[in-house]
Amino acid sequence: MALLEIKNVSKFFGGLAANSDVSFSMDEGMIMGLIGPNGAGKTTLFNCITGYYPPSRGEIVFAGRRMNGLQPDRVCKLGMARTWQKVRPLAKLSVLDNVMVGALCRTNSLSQAQELAMEQIRVVKLDHKTAFPAGGLTIGERKKLEVARVLATQPKLLLLDEVMGGLNPAESEEIIRLILAIKQKGVTQMVIEHDMKAIMRISDRIVVLNSGEKLAEGTPEEIVANPEVVTAYLGSD
Amino acid sequence: MRRPPQIPGGESGRSRVGLVAMLLVLAGLYAFPSFVQSPYALHIMILLFLGTIMGESWNIIGGYTGQYSVGHAAYFGAGAYGTMILLQKWEIAPWKGVFAGIAAALVLSLVIGSICFRLRGPYFVLASIAVAEIVRLTALNLPNVTNGAEGILMSDLPPLSIGGRVVTDFVSKVPYYYIGLTLALFTILVTWLVQHSKLGYCFQAIREDQDAAHSLGINLSLYKNCALGISATLTSLAGSFYAIYIKFIDPTTVLALDLSVQIVLIAIIGGIGTIFGPVVGSLVLVPLAEALRSNIVAQWLINSGLVREDSGLGVFLKENLAHAHVLIYGILVVVVILFMPEGVLGYVRKLSARKKG
Ligand SMILES: Nc1ncnc2c1ncn2[C@@H]1O[C@H](COP(=O)(O)OP(=O)(O)O)[C@@H](O)[C@H]1O
Ligand SMILES: [Mg+2]
Repeated sequence: MALLEIKNVSKFFGGLAANSDVSFSMDEGMIMGLIGPNGAGKTTLFNCITGYYPPSRGEIVFAGRRMNGLQPDRVCKLGMARTWQKVRPLAKLSVLDNVMVGALCRTNSLSQAQELAMEQIRVVKLDHKTAFPAGGLTIGERKKLEVARVLATQPKLLLLDEVMGGLNPAESEEIIRLILAIKQKGVTQMVIEHDMKAIMRISDRIVVLNSGEKLAEGTPEEIVANPEVVTAYLGSD
Repeated sequence: MRRPPQIPGGESGRSRVGLVAMLLVLAGLYAFPSFVQSPYALHIMILLFLGTIMGESWNIIGGYTGQYSVGHAAYFGAGAYGTMILLQKWEIAPWKGVFAGIAAALVLSLVIGSICFRLRGPYFVLASIAVAEIVRLTALNLPNVTNGAEGILMSDLPPLSIGGRVVTDFVSKVPYYYIGLTLALFTILVTWLVQHSKLGYCFQAIREDQDAAHSLGINLSLYKNCALGISATLTSLAGSFYAIYIKFIDPTTVLALDLSVQIVLIAIIGGIGTIFGPVVGSLVLVPLAEALRSNIVAQWLINSGLVREDSGLGVFLKENLAHAHVLIYGILVVVVILFMPEGVLGYVRKLSARKKG
């Protein structure tokens, strides 16, 4: 059984169809790449999946459960967690406290949350910045913090929205390794990314969105060989 | 190898010095009435405690959770009226009436929360003002219950006796001093407990970024209402205490927008979202309000020769400065926001950190 099923999801903003009849499904343990030009509706799809917006039409089924209408906090508790394309650090709180907020999703004990948080901070290699206020981090560090915090909620499905955006090649490489390490632990992931090389390397399958519609779906090899994708997206980029 | 996790701000050497200083201050506060008999000095101390209680209470919802309620007079009034009505109508002692005040404030906070927490930012602020005004107008127009604009004057305060033994008969200011001190310490303790629990993390996450907090599994309406409930409960304690101390309440003193604004200012000027910010805010604002009220400032300007008493300015100051507290508060807030955005406490901390670094 698929872990996540997106069934004919549409999202309208007034007359604009940001997502239009999108369907696909994800098996447990895989990495699904989600690509498409700016404004294709990738972030909107994340917002619909995680309860930030209710989809206008269609259905989202996670682990056999219909998710439509659930609030983001319930979605997170049920095991789906997302990062934000425009990072949202809790600026005045320390790195540790930021990640502890994520960990407190699963425990009421501060000492337990602290332990869980430290574990994730080590995973993203921010342990030299533990007591540092999140507002003072570099963009690369903020992206890592975003990942550590969301990992601390112990998701079954992780949705990463352009975590490599704005990073230099060395930092991007670190994130790629991180994503592959998270996969090793059995966490299913959906990854939005603009860097074609990176997405081809990490994804098991790729969905291409264009103007809100699903243009293609397949393995990375199938996607690069798809003439429609090449003209609509890869060619023009 | 596992490094021991650092707890933010947990440098044990500095915290030990802080602990000793705190114990000394506590001992001094405990002994204060044995050395100082002046009723006026005790009065000022009681006002300082009251200011601290109000500031700490607001700090929970405003400072930690980031929901700037400018309607806290509603909860203050709920405590004051709850206690006073029970005492005057049914002769129920205030130490029981306090709980009626708390219950009223909690019910009110649930109603206000369910209305106002749908809104964010400035809309929340405006809604909180509006709802508190509705509460004030309701009290004004329910003379059967609240005695309307005339207010309620306390006729008789029964002595506090425990197990048949009279603990105090409330003739001097000393019992009020200790009640105020206890309540102030209690609100500080509650704040400390909140900050060092899951609640504090959830509150601060909501303050820093509501959407991020929501996506990390925090139930926004649950935690916002919880913060408001704690805040309302503590504020109503301040109201009850005020009522039995001053022995007179009416809508323009315990339910007014003026009071709501003062409560916010104590926290903002001291430094929001910190345990001791409201204490500092109270130490700044209470003496200032008192100096303005008793015309000390105008008198001082005249005595120092800066302003001639019979000059136009001297007469004007003497007549008007006492009523200018709102203006002066306004100026103070502007100064604090411009030069000390983290409040007086934050400013002092920054200065001392700069000296060390
Ligand atoms: N809250 C919103 N209100 C109105 N339009 C929106 C909103 N969010 C996104 N959009 C529009 O939906 C389209 C898809 O946006 P988005 O999902 O952010 O694209 P992507 O993440 O693929 O770059 C864009 O045209 C964008 O302007
Ligand atoms: Mg996007």
